[in-house]
Amino acid sequence: MIGRIWALALVTFKEGLRDRSLYGIFLFALFVLGLNVLVAGFFMRDLGKVTVDMNLSALSFAGLLLVFFIGINLMAKDIDKKTIHLVLSKPFSRGEYIWGKFTGLVMFVGATQLVLLVFSSATVAVVRWMYPNFFAGFSWGIFITAVFFVFLQHVLLCAIVVFFSSLTSSSFISLIFSLASYIVGITLEEVVFYLRTPTANEEVAGAEFLQRSLEVVTWLVPNFAAFDFKLEAAHGLALEFSHLGVTFGYACLYIMLLLILASVIFSRREFN
Amino acid sequence: MSKIKLSKISKTYKAGLFKKKVRALTDLSLSVDAGTVYGLIGPNGAGKSTTIRLLLNLSRPDRGTVRIDALPVHESLGAIGYLPENPYLYDHLTLKELLFFAGRATGLATSDIRQLMEHLTATVGLDHVRGKSLRTFSKGMRQRAGLCFALLHDPSLVILDEPMSGLDPLGRKMVCDLILSLKKQGKTIFFCSHILSDIERLCDRIAVLHQGQMVREFTPDEITELRQGKMDLETEFIDVVERNEVHA
Repeated sequence: MIGRIWALALVTFKEGLRDRSLYGIFLFALFVLGLNVLVAGFFMRDLGKVTVDMNLSALSFAGLLLVFFIGINLMAKDIDKKTIHLVLSKPFSRGEYIWGKFTGLVMFVGATQLVLLVFSSATVAVVRWMYPNFFAGFSWGIFITAVFFVFLQHVLLCAIVVFFSSLTSSSFISLIFSLASYIVGITLEEVVFYLRTPTANEEVAGAEFLQRSLEVVTWLVPNFAAFDFKLEAAHGLALEFSHLGVTFGYACLYIMLLLILASVIFSRREFN
Repeated sequence: MSKIKLSKISKTYKAGLFKKKVRALTDLSLSVDAGTVYGLIGPNGAGKSTTIRLLLNLSRPDRGTVRIDALPVHESLGAIGYLPENPYLYDHLTLKELLFFAGRATGLATSDIRQLMEHLTATVGLDHVRGKSLRTFSKGMRQRAGLCFALLHDPSLVILDEPMSGLDPLGRKMVCDLILSLKKQGKTIFFCSHILSDIERLCDRIAVLHQGQMVREFTPDEITELRQGKMDLETEFIDVVERNEVHA
């Protein structure tokens, strides 16, 4: 079983790495990182914070593009173009297919993020070398931890992509649903927080009902904002292990649930 | 012993926006003995591809049973090699990588994969492009690559859906020779094609499927007559389809 999952993961990984869109996304990320070095001097006071924030945002955005533009195709196109007929004619169980695709997607996102992390770290190191006085509170440990949670956010997104691809034959529909889940997941915490404030009751009609409805949605859509440690990394604020542990566990639980659900749905699915 | 046994299979699909039910197969029963080349012919939409999908567990029957080597299909996938009509392969992989994937998926050792890959690619005339990306392959080359993918793990049952599609005369001859060689090795071949001359030449058993039903199965004596030119498969095929169209 592991051999088959690994074989499919390797194929998915190679397909992802050889996709030409990857070069475009890489160039974009490198451009943003390079721009950071060039414009760093414009920020007179919070130069260190801006550098770290800009780097983490570039990594996060590049990762999102990788998942949405390449990751989606790695699974949904299999179904769309019927390559899956060939794959499932080999002794793969449907569950093995799901896990194999997910593992390949994670390997792809992980490898590309690792390369981008090298460039990003180099950018931070250069700016830090140029303006050492502005990096007093900076910690590589916190920076790398923040990058790891950006990666974890993308792994969760990969699980969402796999889940929606197991439901539909169209890569476009998978993209729309995955993108919608991400947008809802990244903004939901802020909206619920706002609706709990006294001003919300005055400004928004039916705020209480809306708040209750959104609380139901929070149980369905993962809270992507929970993985955002940009603020802590930019200000060099210490991270609590318990907080990191809970966030890590939350991601693992969500990923497991999504993949188990996807495996069950996929096992019942027919391919015409 | 029957290699393939389909008993009273019925299958309907829900098609279109309003999920209208379409009947694809009705009470289809067929049995294919081990070592036989079985040809299934029929007009477009007759249910040939549905039958193949049922044999590959890609689809499940509403009624009836599908058995391969007396086992449910999902337990016998390791014994099957499948070539679809238009094999959509992983474009960014090389042929070598694709075949390594096929080998690993079926549990072959690396040394065996290498040996079988060299033999198969030489047989289908793709040994010089093993390291090339599949996206650079022509339709005929893809078809041959698909054949290698199907046959690498030495399956005892080979399912071919329009294997000659997109092949030039040399390619067709190569596939015909390959099918005959597989037959000599005792493999069972289940074969759908619109090219009736190939069916006539290669198959030990021929069945005609029309509107989801088996409307004719040629006896061994009739197949001998077909090969001797005493009967014409095309005429017989058109005749049986038209006759059943009237009664449908």
